[in-house]
Amino acid sequence: MRRLLLLCCAAFLLFSLAFALRGEHGGDEKADFTFVSPDDHNFLDPQRMSWLHDLRVAECLYEPLVRFKLPELTVEPAAAAKWEVSPDGLTYTFHIRPEAQWSNGDPVTAGDFIHAWRRAIIPDMAADYSQLFFLIAGAEDFFHWRQEQLNFLQRARFASPGDLQRHIDKMWPDALDHFKETVGISSPDPGTLVVRLVRPTPYFLELTQFSAFAPVHAASVEKATSVRESVGVLETDATYWADPERLVTNGPYLLARRRFKNDLLMTQNPHYWNRAAMRNTSIREVFIADPNMAMLMYKQGRIDWLPEIPTASRLAADLVAQHRPDLVASPWAGTYFYDFNCLPTLEDGTVNPLADARVRRALSMAIDRKTIVERVTRLNQPVARSFIPPGSLPGYEPPVEDGADFKPEEAKRLLAEAGYADGSKLTGLSILFNTGQGHENVAQQIKRSWEEVLGVSVMLEGVEGKAFSQRLKTQHYTIARASWIGDYRDATTFLDKHASGNGNNDSKWASAEYDSLLHQASELTDPAQRLAALRKAESLLLREQPIAPIFHYITLQAYDPAKVEGLYPNIWNFRRLEFVRVK
Amino acid sequence: MIRLITSRLLQLPLILAVVFTVTFVLAWIVPGDPLSRPDGRRPSPEIEAAMKRQYNLDNPWRFAGQYITNVATKGDFGPSLQYLDQRVGRMIAEGLPVSATVGGVAIAMALVIGVGVGVIGALRPGSVLDMAGLVVALIGVSLPTFVTGAILLMVFSVWLNWVNAGAWEHWTDVLLPALTLSLAPAAYIARLIRLGLADVMSSDFVRTARAKGLSDPQVLFRHALKVAFLPVLSFLGPAAAVTMTGSFVVERIFNLHGIGQHFVDAVKNKDQFLLLGVVLVYATMLIVFNLIVDVAYAWVDPRIEL
Repeated sequence: MRRLLLLCCAAFLLFSLAFALRGEHGGDEKADFTFVSPDDHNFLDPQRMSWLHDLRVAECLYEPLVRFKLPELTVEPAAAAKWEVSPDGLTYTFHIRPEAQWSNGDPVTAGDFIHAWRRAIIPDMAADYSQLFFLIAGAEDFFHWRQEQLNFLQRARFASPGDLQRHIDKMWPDALDHFKETVGISSPDPGTLVVRLVRPTPYFLELTQFSAFAPVHAASVEKATSVRESVGVLETDATYWADPERLVTNGPYLLARRRFKNDLLMTQNPHYWNRAAMRNTSIREVFIADPNMAMLMYKQGRIDWLPEIPTASRLAADLVAQHRPDLVASPWAGTYFYDFNCLPTLEDGTVNPLADARVRRALSMAIDRKTIVERVTRLNQPVARSFIPPGSLPGYEPPVEDGADFKPEEAKRLLAEAGYADGSKLTGLSILFNTGQGHENVAQQIKRSWEEVLGVSVMLEGVEGKAFSQRLKTQHYTIARASWIGDYRDATTFLDKHASGNGNNDSKWASAEYDSLLHQASELTDPAQRLAALRKAESLLLREQPIAPIFHYITLQAYDPAKVEGLYPNIWNFRRLEFVRVK
Repeated sequence: MIRLITSRLLQLPLILAVVFTVTFVLAWIVPGDPLSRPDGRRPSPEIEAAMKRQYNLDNPWRFAGQYITNVATKGDFGPSLQYLDQRVGRMIAEGLPVSATVGGVAIAMALVIGVGVGVIGALRPGSVLDMAGLVVALIGVSLPTFVTGAILLMVFSVWLNWVNAGAWEHWTDVLLPALTLSLAPAAYIARLIRLGLADVMSSDFVRTARAKGLSDPQVLFRHALKVAFLPVLSFLGPAAAVTMTGSFVVERIFNLHGIGQHFVDAVKNKDQFLLLGVVLVYATMLIVFNLIVDVAYAWVDPRIEL
């Protein structure tokens, strides 16, 4: 028995030791402003990030050339004190603010921007948004040139490992020279950045506020970057972006602490040029996966802001039903829609009935969208009658075609015209969705609508997220739920998706007329004519209905307006957290 | 005993190699692209190819070769494919102490509750206390942790406000998740002890001890419990490995940052590096805990030869 007791004591001591050494999870000190994110960051590399919660933190850590002023949503100088645009709209000259400094005291230079933008362009970094940089003269060609340089290494046979290494050693210096010679980004002096575009792009200035265009501290990033052995690919040590000791930032904050899946603390950058205007000196982001737990902590007063209550959660619908004064629902520049596979034949070689626009229009017209937002999601999102959310783009009013309206009789007529007077003859259709996000409820309602209105029977197919995106990409579906959130304030952020060659065009709808209208718009320099061409393109999209828009997204946030100042919810989810004050 | 320890430790790499192979094959054949997202932008084919090449996802043989080399030579489990700026080794190193703490306290609670309820049941079979213990044990086994966890959170955090919700600052923060995790093993231990004691108390050596004039508590604690505890000891090995490597449900309910969530996240996100990392750690812990139990077995009862 004594041995048993000894064993128990030893186990107890071991557990006590484990508790004492329980990692960096202690310490829950209060910051000036605390908010919640549903998950830890996927990547804090500004050139490679694309998730909403990553972008939110990047905006605090990095300052791009310009920023949006809130609540006006007008462009204001940031790292660039001023800029000029050439009369032909092709050349932008940015003058970097002389007082702008990195968190280590180094001055922010045009070279830092060039370094960052080059990182975004090269295929080595595999940046999601590299194509945004193809607006810059020579960038797309440079991308392919570098790709070929890397591909050559895979194909070539070298006499000895020494030869291979000598070749690899030469590749990156060659690439740097080629970039300098061919890409339209240059800096005549450290304070001036000159950018030459392929064509006049009215939204380019606004685009530069996007995180992918933020600068990086060239010296420290270079230190963390190396050429990968035998493949010659340039790689930045990913842990650099998560390491407070090494990460150098030029935004209002620096990274003070990062505890994986626990929290992230940002404190005021002592070298930030505009710190006198900041209304807080520290921000803490807490990661909480369960929305109910996040709400509980918010109610206990330990959280100031819940920026994104998952709209698919039951909690969201319950909170909306309570009409809480601290719950702010605002429109978001995104659309929930259904993709129709438009390929002429399906995977099994049979004729695809959805290749006929009349069938797609009939299915779309048979969807009772109002019931979906009122009774299924219970969030009363704006019903979508267009792909681009109304009010999201200045000067652009989306066209309204009748394809997205609930018209049972017209739907029946169109289906009969397409040869399916008896809806039950339209077979082989299924709705594909990813599970666990509330999509099943919407799919159930749409299935019911199609059965009741058209007599068309469809299957429901729920698969997990990774398999879902794979099937969407390979058109291994007939009908699938989809969504799209705009990246920047121009109609092309939505409309380019449906261009025939676009990698995100999951419906594989190919319309020469649509492509031509987009091309025409890209050539037009008159803003009104350009918008008119884009509107025409969207109108065509809505008539042909390769997609059935269901509703436009909303964001649900919780904060006490009497306590938290300066958040200014807006349709593009732009934030300036440095100007937020908690009373 | 030294021979046992040596042979088990020598078997460890072999077992891990089998576990690695099975996990690797399963992770590789599951449909879906680890780098894709249901709602994300799809990068150009060139970028996709570059990303896959970066993580060796374009070639399973190269992936396996590189992975094994890195783990064996540098102890590097690679990057997470979901949290790209994190290393799997660091994620496990940060999460394991949390899971181990909660799991360790849960096992300690399970022992105290289980042995207590089991002893009462064996000493006073059919009494009110025995029945109450059995009911508690039944509830412990039957209720899933997401129910007990939510109930405990509601009662102690929301209504009584005794402990913080979702915090990991004070020693009391470990109690609710540990209690949630402890109920099922406590119930099982209670049943093992009760049955074991009922059996032992009617055996010859207990009768002899009583005949020598020892009181019931003396018989129980000096002789009977030691024998009845042996099955509990065998149960504790795998139970400790399971509880100390975390629970997805409990960690999510109480917002703990252990490694339990990594198991589910890794599968959900097809994060092959993370999946292999946590499975290898789990397998190692299971083997080590079983070895500790075997050694403890012989130590507690010297009659057992290893």
